[in-house]
This record gives sequence, C-alpha cells and structure tokens, in this order.
Amino acid sequence: MKAKQLYNSTLLLKVIFTISVAVIFFIAAITYKHITTLKESSKWVEQSHEINVELERLMSYIKDAETGQRGYLLTKNEEYLKPYLTSKSLINNSYKRVSKLTSNSLIQKINLKHLLFLINKRHNYLSKTLYLVQTEPNYDHKVLNEYLHVGRLTMDSIRLKIEEMSSTQKKILQNRQLEYESSMNYTPLLIYLTLMVTLVLITIAFIKINRDVVKLSKTVNTLSVANEVSSLAEIVGGFGSWQHNFETNTYTFSDNEYRLLGCEPQSFEASIEEFIKFVHPDDLEYVMENVKNMALLATLPSFTYRVIRKDGEIRHFRTIGRAVKISSGERTYIGTTSDVTEEIYAKNFIEERNRELESNNKELTAFNYIASHDLQEPLRKIETFLSRLISSDFSTLSKPGQQYVNSIQTSANRMRTLIDDLLQFSRTTKTEKSLEKVDFNLLLENAKVELNQIMETKNAVIESNNLPTLKVIPFQIQQLFINIIGNSLKYSKENTPPIIKINSSKIAANSDKSLPANNHNYYKITFEDNGIGFEQEYATKIFTLFNRLHNKNKYEGTGIGLAICKKIVENHNGFIFSKGVLNEGSMFSIYLPFE
Amino acid sequence: MKAFIKFDFNTACKKILKEKLEECGIKHRILGFGEVEFLEKVSPEKLNLFSKLLDPYGIEIVKNQKTILIQKIKDAIVDMVFNENISVNVKSSVYLSEKLNYSYGHLSTLFSEVTYTSIENFIILQKIEFAKQLIINNELSLTEIAFKLNYSSIAHLSSQFKNSTGMTPSAFQRVIIKRKELINKNNP
Amino acid sequence: MTTEYITIYLADDDADDRLFFTDAFDELKINTKVSTFNDGVDLMNHLNDPDAILPNVLFLDLNMPKKNGLECLLEIKKNEKFNDIAIAIYSTSSTEEHIEETFINGANIYIKKPNDFETLKKILSEVVTINWQYHTSNLNKDNFLMRM
Repeated sequence: MKAKQLYNSTLLLKVIFTISVAVIFFIAAITYKHITTLKESSKWVEQSHEINVELERLMSYIKDAETGQRGYLLTKNEEYLKPYLTSKSLINNSYKRVSKLTSNSLIQKINLKHLLFLINKRHNYLSKTLYLVQTEPNYDHKVLNEYLHVGRLTMDSIRLKIEEMSSTQKKILQNRQLEYESSMNYTPLLIYLTLMVTLVLITIAFIKINRDVVKLSKTVNTLSVANEVSSLAEIVGGFGSWQHNFETNTYTFSDNEYRLLGCEPQSFEASIEEFIKFVHPDDLEYVMENVKNMALLATLPSFTYRVIRKDGEIRHFRTIGRAVKISSGERTYIGTTSDVTEEIYAKNFIEERNRELESNNKELTAFNYIASHDLQEPLRKIETFLSRLISSDFSTLSKPGQQYVNSIQTSANRMRTLIDDLLQFSRTTKTEKSLEKVDFNLLLENAKVELNQIMETKNAVIESNNLPTLKVIPFQIQQLFINIIGNSLKYSKENTPPIIKINSSKIAANSDKSLPANNHNYYKITFEDNGIGFEQEYATKIFTLFNRLHNKNKYEGTGIGLAICKKIVENHNGFIFSKGVLNEGSMFSIYLPFE
Repeated sequence: MKAFIKFDFNTACKKILKEKLEECGIKHRILGFGEVEFLEKVSPEKLNLFSKLLDPYGIEIVKNQKTILIQKIKDAIVDMVFNENISVNVKSSVYLSEKLNYSYGHLSTLFSEVTYTSIENFIILQKIEFAKQLIINNELSLTEIAFKLNYSSIAHLSSQFKNSTGMTPSAFQRVIIKRKELINKNNP
Repeated sequence: MTTEYITIYLADDDADDRLFFTDAFDELKINTKVSTFNDGVDLMNHLNDPDAILPNVLFLDLNMPKKNGLECLLEIKKNEKFNDIAIAIYSTSSTEEHIEETFINGANIYIKKPNDFETLKKILSEVVTINWQYHTSNLNKDNFLMRM
C-alpha cells in the first residue's frame, strides 16, 4: 500500500530526481577518482621511469667521474679530469632529483641515504685518489690500489644499490599498479550497478511521467471539450456566466456574457462599472442594491432587470449568483445572467389575459347572480299578489278573465322555475368553498328525504352499496345526488315503479378508458335507473345548459339540472358521463378524484 | 245617615289586582274575566307574596282544572317518550287513557281545545325533541337513535324529523356542531 | 291561547312584504299582536327600550338597509335580556351555506318567503304554534330549529 502511495505521489518524482542527481554525482565522483588514480598511476610509472633513468644517469655520472679519474690516472692528462669535475655537480643535481623523485617512499629514502653515503664514499675515494696522485708524485701504489679497490667495491655497492633501488622502485610501481588495478576492478561493477539502479529509477519515473502526461492530456482534452460545450451551452441557453474573485477584486465574464449585451466577446474589461453601463437607468438602483448584497450574502437570490443592448434593444435579464470555494482557496462568487425577455413577455401576456378573464368572470358571475337573485323579488310579488287575487276575487272575474289569470299564473310558475334553476346554477361556483370530509351515504339519505314525497308517490326504490367518504363541497354533492335521482324519478316509465341502483367503486389510476391518463385515482359512482332512457347520440348534449329532450308540457323542467351536475363534478376535478337506452333506462357515471 | 253604594266588582277587583301587582313589582296584563297575564317570569316567593296580599280581599289564585289536566297529559306524554322503562309496544292512546283515568277521546278533545294542537302532534314534537337531545349528546348514531325512539328505520326518523323541523337530522347535527365550534372559538 | 295573545315583531324594509305579513296574521285565527319595523336600526332601538314589551317571535328580513338582519341577529343574541325571543329569519332565497350560517349564529327559524299567500299563512301559523308549544311546555328553546 505504502509503495503504491509512494508510486503515485508527486513526491516520487522529486525523490527519483534527487536520487538520480545523487547517483550522477556519485558516478562523477567515481569517474573523477578513476581518472585521478589513472593520472596518478601514469605519474608513478613516469616517476619510476624517471627514477630509473635518473639513477642510470647518476650511475653514468659516477661512472664518468670514475672513468675520468681512470683516464687521468692512466694518462695524467688533465683533460680527463673535466668530466670528473663536472660530474660532482651533475651527480649532486642528479641525486637531488632522485631524492625529490623518491621523497614519497620511505624505503627509497633510506636507500637513498645509503646511496648518498656510498656516493660520497666513492667520491671521497676518488678525490682521495686524485689527491694522492696529484699531490704526491710518488704515491704509494698500494694505497692507490686500495683506494681503487675500495673505490671499485663502493662502485659495486653503488651499482647494487642503484639496482636495488631500481628494483624496489619497480616493486613499488608494481604494488601501486596492483593496488590501482584492484581498486579499479570493482569500479565498472559499481558503475554497472548504479547504472542499473538509475535505469530502473528512470524507467519508473518515465512510466509515472508518461502516465501523468497521458492523464493530464486527457484531462486537458476533457476540459477543453467541456469548456467548448459550456460555451456552446451558454449560446444555446441564452445565458452568460461570470465570476467575481473577492481576493483580487476582479471580474471574469464568459464570452456569451458579452454577446448577450450585443458586444464582441471580451471586447471590454470585465467589471461592474462596465456592465452597469448597459443596465436600464430605471433599474440601475435596484441592480446596484442587489450587487451590494453579493458581499453580504452567500447566495444571491435571482433578480430581474432590464438592459439596453449595444444595438439599443431593451432586453430583460435575470441574474443569480452564489459564493463558492474554488480549489485555489480564494473566495469567489459565480453566477449566471440569462436573457429572459421572451419569458417575461409571455408571463406578462398571460397575466394580462388572466386579469381580463378574471374580470370577465367576475362580471359574468355578478350578472348571473344579480339576474337570478334580484329577479326573484318582483316575481315573488307577482305570484303572491296573484294568489291573493285568485283566492279573493277569482269568482268575480269573467270567464276570459279567469283564463288570463290562470295563464299568468302558469307563466309566473315557469319563470319561477327558470329563475330558481339559474340561481342554483350561478351558486354552483368553486371559489371560496371549503372541502369537508363527508360520508356519501349520509348525503344519499338526505337526498332521499328531500325527494321523499315524489318517491312515495311513485313507490320508488333506491338501492345502494356502501358509498365512500370523500373530501368534497358537501352542499354541492348533495345537490348532485338530488338532481340525478330526481331526474330518474321524473323520467320514470308510466306505471312502473322506479328502481334506482347506486354503486360505487375505486378506479386505479390510468385504468379506465373513459378517463384521461393522468395518474390520479378516482371513485366511480353510478346511478342506474329503469326509466324512459334516451338515445345515446344525445349522451353529451344533455349536459348542455337549457338542453331538453322533451317539451315542457310532457315533463316539466328547465334543462339546467344536468348542467348543474356537470358543473359540480367539474368543480371537484371529476368527470360525468351518461349512457342511455331508449325505453329501457339510463345510467349516469360520475368520477371523483381522491388522494 | 245612610248612603247607597253600588258596587262595580269588576273595576274594584281590577284596581286591587293592579295595586297589589305593582306593589310586588310584577309586570302584568289584566285580561278579562279573572285572568292576569304575567309579562315576566315570577318567582314562587313573589307569587306567594302576591297571594298573601290578595288574601285579606278574599281574592285567591285559582288553579284551573283544565290547565292542571293539560299539564298532566303533557307530563305523561313526556314520561312516555323519554322514559326508557315504559314498554315501547304500548299504544300511546291506551297508555294515556289508563294513566290519567279518562277516555282518550276526552283527553284528545280537551288537549286540542286548550293547546290548539293534537296529542299526536305533541307526541311527535316530544319525540323529535328527544331525538334532538340525543343528537346533541353525540353518543348514539342516527340509526341507534331511530331504534331507540321506536322508528322502523332511519329513513322513517329522517322523514318525520324533516316534516317537523324542515331539516334533516344530519343538517340539524351540523348546525349544533358548528354552533359549538363558534362558542369555543369565541371563548377559548 | 284563549285570551292571551302572542306578540309578533317583523323587521322588513319592503312595504309589500309587511302588508302580506300583517294581512296573513289578520286572517289567522290566532290571537296575535303584530308590530312592524322598517329597518334594523328602528327594530333595535325599540328592543333596547327598557319599557318595551318583548315579542314572543321576531321575524327578521336579511336584506335591510342601515342594519341588516344578520347584524341584528348577532346583536340580539349577545343580550341576555332577549333570550326568550324566538328569532325567525324571513328572507328571499339564500344559499345553503348562508342558511346554515344564520342557524349557527343563533336563529331559531329560517323561512324562505313563499310565493303565494296561502302558503304564507300556513307557515306563519305553524311557526307561531310550535313556538307556543315550546313556550308552554318548557322545552329547550336552544334546540328550537325550524326550516320552512
């Protein structure tokens, strides 16, 4: 787990980088060491070589001195002493050089000391010999031979010493070479190892970088696509977006924000001052107030205002905004500005129409009510005075007079029925009526009591199954029952006692074909009678106002009863249908929605 | 010396009555022929006082025989309707006749004469009153009330209720309930 | 009801209706004393007079100027002095809700003004008679509800 975490963290790259750098430094160090060792080794070879050369030279000078001396001894020619004389300084110089060259080897130093001693001794003997020969013409040949013998021995020792020194130097060199080789031996291995490690690290780094790059490029791609889509969405949706960075107090407007104002994208610097130049002067104060609220509220509720676009056209804008915390941690407000002109116009249009309709409606309702209610008074007076007239003076009227009075009374009655029905119709409004939970069985009982008289006269029977309890306007449903049952009683077959069957059932949403599929549940209540029925082609017509299928002489009525039923049912968002078979009976079905 | 005095009893009695009534502070209306109508409720103490004041004049308050009998009939009917112990199968005419020891015909005639309504109507009135009380008590359903009052069905009760009062029992119930709500709203 | 008479008040702004009313009682064989008032203010002034003889039954039209029937009803119900008066609302057609409202606010009787004279006589007779029963038989006047 930790390894994977490590793998995925950006720290890994830093670590790998550090390690790689370290490794490189390490390799550099090793290489440097290698090179210096190499240099050193060649230096030592050179040195050794030089020492050997120098030692040979030394030997040669000493030999020269000897040879010179020998020559002089042989020839007594001063000429042969020249090399001897110069040899001293040469020997000295040479010795100094060797001494310098071997200063780093203790053994050689000791050897050198030894050598010096021998050289000095040789020299001594040489000079002794010379002195002997030069100063005493009669020198002792024995002494001379002794000097020469010692000299030769010393020379041999010197030669040996120098050889020794030479071989010691060789050995030293060899040792150094071995050392060098041994130390250099593992260097390639080390380098290979570090190379491997580095390679591995680089590979890991490469994989990670590659993956990151791929992810990045994917993200960038997605982002740029999203950006493009967002920009297009703004164009399609007719809105622009904006940001306000509180920390830096700068604004950013999207391209479409500019287009909404009728300007080229980014054509001016995004700021409140520039924006409000477009705001309609009457709405300026309102807009500024809302803008101020940005600083105070976390959510800026939407506000609508007018702008005057660059081309002079007035549009309605709606702006809404919210404070968010973006990943950089800076307090930012983001929001959108939509062009809602069409919406506003549509709304205004609808509101206007609504007002018109409402006022029309009110007028009609008032008219309806006044017409029915206020017409009652004079009619009542007519009827009452007429009845008094009839009861007191009917007999004193002439025959035609009596007929006229009867006709007046009939017409008055008819008018009374019409006005009563109209009044009832106008009262069947929906407004300001509260819904109550009512037991429909109770309403049925009440209806039966209302119609008691006619029921008894016709020996009517009403059967019903258990009716539901629903939330309705009680008086209206009561009236509905009275009207429908009353109709069944009125339009019963002659000499046949009316039998009215009332049934209720639950209808699940969308299951009845006669209803629209609106996901509401309904209660269906059917009223079936065995009366005179009607032709099915009139099934919808009978619900129209004042529509009658029989003339008023056969069956009394105004044709308003069923229209009232329809209105009541519609007040409750329900439906009513009728089905009739001539001379067999009728069925009325009402559907009332319930929760 | 002698003086001849003529008595107008009517005026004299009326005057005495008026005086005493005023003394007792009883609002009244003196009708003809020994009848005084009290225009307000008179407490028994006041009535007693008035009686006492009339005593020295030899005037006394008479309990009308008729009135007493009518009251008895009414009481009997109330008992019959409201009292559960009385068997429901007994016919009202039989019950009354037995209880009051008069023939039903006599009782019936007298009742109508005095109260201007028939015994049957009065019985119905009482039954409906009882029904109203039961409805107000809200302990029994309408069906149970119909049964308790010996109606053959709830429809029968509803029908008679409507005939008597002009409204259905449920409409009556609604009004009572809403009246209570109004009182509760005004006196929380 | 022999020599006693029943005091009846009517408040109605319509002269014809007042005429119908008084004529009806004239033709009924009940001993009544009928007083009529032209509007609510007139009625209440009279009722509030300490010397006034209070009626047994008060008939109130709903639509009256200055003070309508409902206002009078509420005012009367507030005053304990008027507890014994049976109040009958006497009006042209109203909605069911409106009728219920008058009962809830304390009316005892609701009468829809009939459109013939004989019916009017019958209704008035019944109202007065039943009220008399309540009066004489100690029935609870709070439960006295009638609709004609």
